[in-house]
Amino acid sequence: MNKILLIFFITICFSSYSQDKTEVKDFFWGKSDTFKTAIKIPDKWKNESAVIIYKYEYYDYHNSGTKVVYTSAYRQRIKLQDENSVKEFSEFSFKDKFYTTKGYKYKEGTTFLGVKIVKPNGDEIEVDVDKEAKKIDNQKKIAINGLEIGDVIDYYYYSYEPFTSEVQNFDPVENTLGDVYPIMSRKIKFSIEEDFYVSFNTYHGAPELKEVSSGKKHTKTYELEAHDIEKNEFPRWFYPLAEMPCYKFQVFFARKSGFAIPAYADVFLPKGLVSFRKTVDKNDIYDYYEKKFYAVFDLGETLKFLKGKTFENEEEKIKAVYLFARHQYYTQYIESAVIKEANIFNSYSMYKNPLFFSDERSFIYYFMAFMKEFKIDYNIVLATDRNNGSLDELLIRRNLTPLLRINTPNPLYLEYCNPFSMPGTIDHGLENSKGYIMDYVKNKAIQNVEEVNLPSTTAKDNVTKVLTNVSMDTDMSNLNIKRTSAFFGHFKKDEQNSKLKFFDYVDEDYQKYGTERVIDKVGSKSKREQYNKEFDALKNKLKDIQKDDEKKSLSSEFDFEIEHPTINITNTGRYGDNAPFSYEEEFVIKNNLIKKAGENYIVEIGKMLTNQVEIDKKETDRKNNVYMPFPRAFENEIVFEIPDGYKISGIEKLNKNVQNSTGEFISASILKDNKLIIKTTKKYNNYYEPNANWNKIIAFLEAAYQFTQEKILLKKE
Amino acid sequence: MKILIPLIFTFFLSTTLLFGQKSLDPTAEDIKLAKSLREKYSKDDVAILESKELITFDLNKGDSKVVVKNSVKEVLMNINHRADINKYEFYDSESSIEKIVLKYRNQKNAGFEVKDQFYKDKDLFYNDARVKYMEVDFPVQGYSYTYELEKKYNDVKYFTSLYFNDEFPVIKKEITVVVPDWLNLELKEFNFDGNTISKTKIHDDRNGTTIYTYIMENVNAFYKEKKAPGRTYIYPHVLVIAKSFKNKDKETLLFNSTADLYKWYKSLIDSMKDDTSVLAGKVAELTSSAKTDEEKIKNIYYWVQDNIRYIAFEDGIAGFKPDESNHVFEKRYGDCKGMANLSKQMLKLAGFDARLAWIGTKHILYDYATPSLAVDNHMICTLFYNGKTYYIDGTEKYNSFGEDAERIQNKEVMIEDGDKFIIKKVPASGSELNKEIYNAKLIIDNDKLSGSCSKMYSGESKTEFLNIFNSFENNKKGETLEKYLSGNDKNITASNIKTSDFKNRDLKLFVNFDVDVQNKVSKFDNDIFIDLAYMDEYKNFEFKDRKTDYEFNYKTNYESNVVLEIPQGYKLSKLPENLNVNEEDFSIVISFKHTGKEIVYKKQFVFKKAVVKIGDMAKWNASNKSLKTIYNQQIIFTKS
Repeated sequence: MNKILLIFFITICFSSYSQDKTEVKDFFWGKSDTFKTAIKIPDKWKNESAVIIYKYEYYDYHNSGTKVVYTSAYRQRIKLQDENSVKEFSEFSFKDKFYTTKGYKYKEGTTFLGVKIVKPNGDEIEVDVDKEAKKIDNQKKIAINGLEIGDVIDYYYYSYEPFTSEVQNFDPVENTLGDVYPIMSRKIKFSIEEDFYVSFNTYHGAPELKEVSSGKKHTKTYELEAHDIEKNEFPRWFYPLAEMPCYKFQVFFARKSGFAIPAYADVFLPKGLVSFRKTVDKNDIYDYYEKKFYAVFDLGETLKFLKGKTFENEEEKIKAVYLFARHQYYTQYIESAVIKEANIFNSYSMYKNPLFFSDERSFIYYFMAFMKEFKIDYNIVLATDRNNGSLDELLIRRNLTPLLRINTPNPLYLEYCNPFSMPGTIDHGLENSKGYIMDYVKNKAIQNVEEVNLPSTTAKDNVTKVLTNVSMDTDMSNLNIKRTSAFFGHFKKDEQNSKLKFFDYVDEDYQKYGTERVIDKVGSKSKREQYNKEFDALKNKLKDIQKDDEKKSLSSEFDFEIEHPTINITNTGRYGDNAPFSYEEEFVIKNNLIKKAGENYIVEIGKMLTNQVEIDKKETDRKNNVYMPFPRAFENEIVFEIPDGYKISGIEKLNKNVQNSTGEFISASILKDNKLIIKTTKKYNNYYEPNANWNKIIAFLEAAYQFTQEKILLKKE
Repeated sequence: MKILIPLIFTFFLSTTLLFGQKSLDPTAEDIKLAKSLREKYSKDDVAILESKELITFDLNKGDSKVVVKNSVKEVLMNINHRADINKYEFYDSESSIEKIVLKYRNQKNAGFEVKDQFYKDKDLFYNDARVKYMEVDFPVQGYSYTYELEKKYNDVKYFTSLYFNDEFPVIKKEITVVVPDWLNLELKEFNFDGNTISKTKIHDDRNGTTIYTYIMENVNAFYKEKKAPGRTYIYPHVLVIAKSFKNKDKETLLFNSTADLYKWYKSLIDSMKDDTSVLAGKVAELTSSAKTDEEKIKNIYYWVQDNIRYIAFEDGIAGFKPDESNHVFEKRYGDCKGMANLSKQMLKLAGFDARLAWIGTKHILYDYATPSLAVDNHMICTLFYNGKTYYIDGTEKYNSFGEDAERIQNKEVMIEDGDKFIIKKVPASGSELNKEIYNAKLIIDNDKLSGSCSKMYSGESKTEFLNIFNSFENNKKGETLEKYLSGNDKNITASNIKTSDFKNRDLKLFVNFDVDVQNKVSKFDNDIFIDLAYMDEYKNFEFKDRKTDYEFNYKTNYESNVVLEIPQGYKLSKLPENLNVNEEDFSIVISFKHTGKEIVYKKQFVFKKAVVKIGDMAKWNASNKSLKTIYNQQIIFTKS
């Protein structure tokens, strides 16, 4: 009996699975497939690697009251025209069974993969995925049979994901309409049942999403159709979402309308709780952020820190508190996290009540509490990175970053901490753009929302200053270099991240604020000693890695191997207005940059400027506008000691001067005290340049490149 | 508000173990030892103080297979400040890991989680190898663990070799092989010369076993060097060849001789069920319009090269048995065995005498004098035609019929011949076959060099070029070729590019183009300085601390001839010196000739055996230094 039941059960499962499989196949390749026989591509794309004949994305949000199912499906029909694309599509991998990460129960999802090959004569070969796929750990892999150049491959992924939840935020999607291959036709389709809320819009000439008949009472269906799309090509200094045809969407689910509130939703909810939204304006910002931020944070430690301290003005006080908070609620825990991750001991258990800025919200709460306590006037500003497109195109909630604007005589902006963040400096992506500014009444609710211009920086603020002293060995084969570098403004962050390990900067914080280190909290002396030894061992290992990294970094700067490098950090740049991040380096260049010319020598002195942007032939013909991270300047001074017994020739070539509205490259050289001194400046003036200015940018970039190619002759006297 | 600290820092990635106990500090002696070992092995984090490996044999009477048990016991010590390693062991469908554990110094289990996954290799689409591993941290210098492993091989034929070297240096390695009297087993030693390895052989009458013990001390870690020869050439090792066993006076032959190895291989190919009717149409299509037999062969061989993708499956017996030709044909992919079999069957259908052939590539030291699965790693098709033997390797893209790739040259090949087999050697060819020539005729045009160039490729330089060229997307090929010809140097512009027919793999390949070179002509006072080193071949090819031979992909033979016209109104005042190096394995010729109106700058680099041996590296480095000196000099013209 039991056996019969078991067989019955297996049959049920099997038949339901195979029915699903057939239904899915029919969904893509059934009678209604209008691309069933499409294999021809337009002549203009015959030399492309591959051409997408049809690209289809389908999203279904199903809510039957008891069961919530998210279905996402994807189909591509592609003509493969070379070896490269055949290789690209010759293997697929997928997780046929997976556990959903949505909701609060372990629910199993299913992915179906279907693949068929259409030969140039129209013959179709369908791949038996179940038979051919190999299971490798938790995923399946399949090698595609019979695929050749000239074939069309038509494949789909269909993922069926049930979940149990009262509310669910889906990840946002932001894409250009184009792909790596040109597309003849593409379609995006949504089917939404009640309790799902969709934000969707298209930009920069992409066709609109249109409502079409779903044929069902409680289901709404939307479609976007586009044709004849050239392949994406992203040039240097470019933000695709700022000007290419693109689309953005995000979905939110709330089982009950009472849950469709900003407290649960990570999206801007559609007005009147209809299911669909296209734009976001200041009223939407008001609705969403009305009760998002609170002035609630334990200020005990902060008050202790401030006790007995006086400040010149309010601005100085806030800056001091920011730096204190950066340590107290952030860098204080770095050692602890490292210790835990390196499995030295469970360092987290040493804290009774750890307060940590786990996200930007807790940071805002803290400062709101502080402003409230000290009755300081401030606003919260919401800004979006310039690479997301303009503020008018805002749709995705996560694209907004909250900042604090303190209304001191010179407004002071504060952003969420990291080990190197400074009061008054905000991420360069947020600069020079529009944002929303909100007034908070009684530190808990917003009163109004207005548009505001975010601050900008200039090439005077963001500067890299390098002084390079170059001398030659007596045997005239090596160059000995001593270099000091100082980074200001937005240049600091990347340099600090690449050159500093945590132990290079946490010590100065511990000393400044007198905080107890996590290992010192350990009661047992012997344990403390043991952990200290283990932590020191880890740091020593990381220091060795740091040394190797320095050699690699210098070598890549020059494009050949650098010998005997040393580095000494002179300022971490983490305290004080305008403090640079700076270091000194010494290294040797062997068998490079010096050419023997009879009894004379040619020195490639221009290479001391290190690698410059190289604009190639293809790049000169640019079609897009130019998006720079920030205006910036590079100031270099190269001091070359002329070896005894030689005089120098050819310094006139080292003098360049190209200046225009987009930037400049200027170099000037003089001879003084048997030294050749060259000063160069390279500047990028703006955040953005219209395409018409591209040639102006190229003009000064070419001058800078040409400088690196210039040489001097050392003539034997 | 209490906020838990999330793990947002990734300053240091290592283990994710949730338990911690590390109270077993190393002793002062341990630390002292670790420090001294680190001085010796400065690039290794961990040393194996002692590794004892014991190999015993059992008979599985059920399926008449000799079972191998391999037990390992090791003491691992951290010799760097700290170490984070993966301790791992592979197994597959023919083997199993019965115990894998790490213990503290006090012999308590350290409790590291043992993870078990498929072994993923980018070159293998699927293979049955799996790996068990532990993520292990050594918190301080001198910290140690004991490692214990027990592994079982179901069939002695898959237990092929024993190595002394390991991923980490081994201070003392002991390998004990206990051979029962009922088993006829040969232990064949390789690369023992030059290494101090003690060996003892004792017969244990009571247990009826012979105990072989090998001990080697101060064994380096496996070298992590690119372009190195295969392990079988570099490291001392013992090849285990189980020849036969006796069970109740009945002797069963295993791999007693090469004939037994062939017999097993033959049993696998006999079990194939090729349905060649599927191929017939394609063979007819490829041969019907061919005017000669050679054209027919080429059409089939090149069709396989061009249309069958290499996708490797190593799944149990499928690692040794070729896939049926009809399957490979229909799937349009296969591994070397599948491609060899398809080539064979297609050629047979076309009326040729084509056979399967096993071969160990250049990566493997052994020849067929040794009957072991470790001897070969590749399969090709051998064609007997017109009294000549040809080797057809479908995995070699763009290979011309009659030319053999470096990796199979000079290697023994075992060719099927019914119940017998034929052993032949793939002939070696000279470097001349792979010749690559660069010709340029340049003038000084104001501040630039300008003129016409040509490049010629043949043999393996041609197949290498075509492999790279064809890997690019169609729409990027032109741009890529331009960048390649200009050496990706902004100062060089290659234009007006004309190529020979890239589709014809039987002809030499030519690329002709015009070139402009900026920033290599410097004018100071009355002199013009020419930097002809913009194509500074082999300038950075220098060996630093290398421990193994450097192997090239093929026997490289490169020639460059640059002719530079002397500008009017100038005379030559300085030429760099010439260089002539002629060693057994490599030669360099650099010459500058003043022929009146022109300077002829000739370079030739030949690597006659596709290798720079470790013993020749000092010589190469000295030549390289001279080469750099030449490259760092200028040709000088002075106003006449």
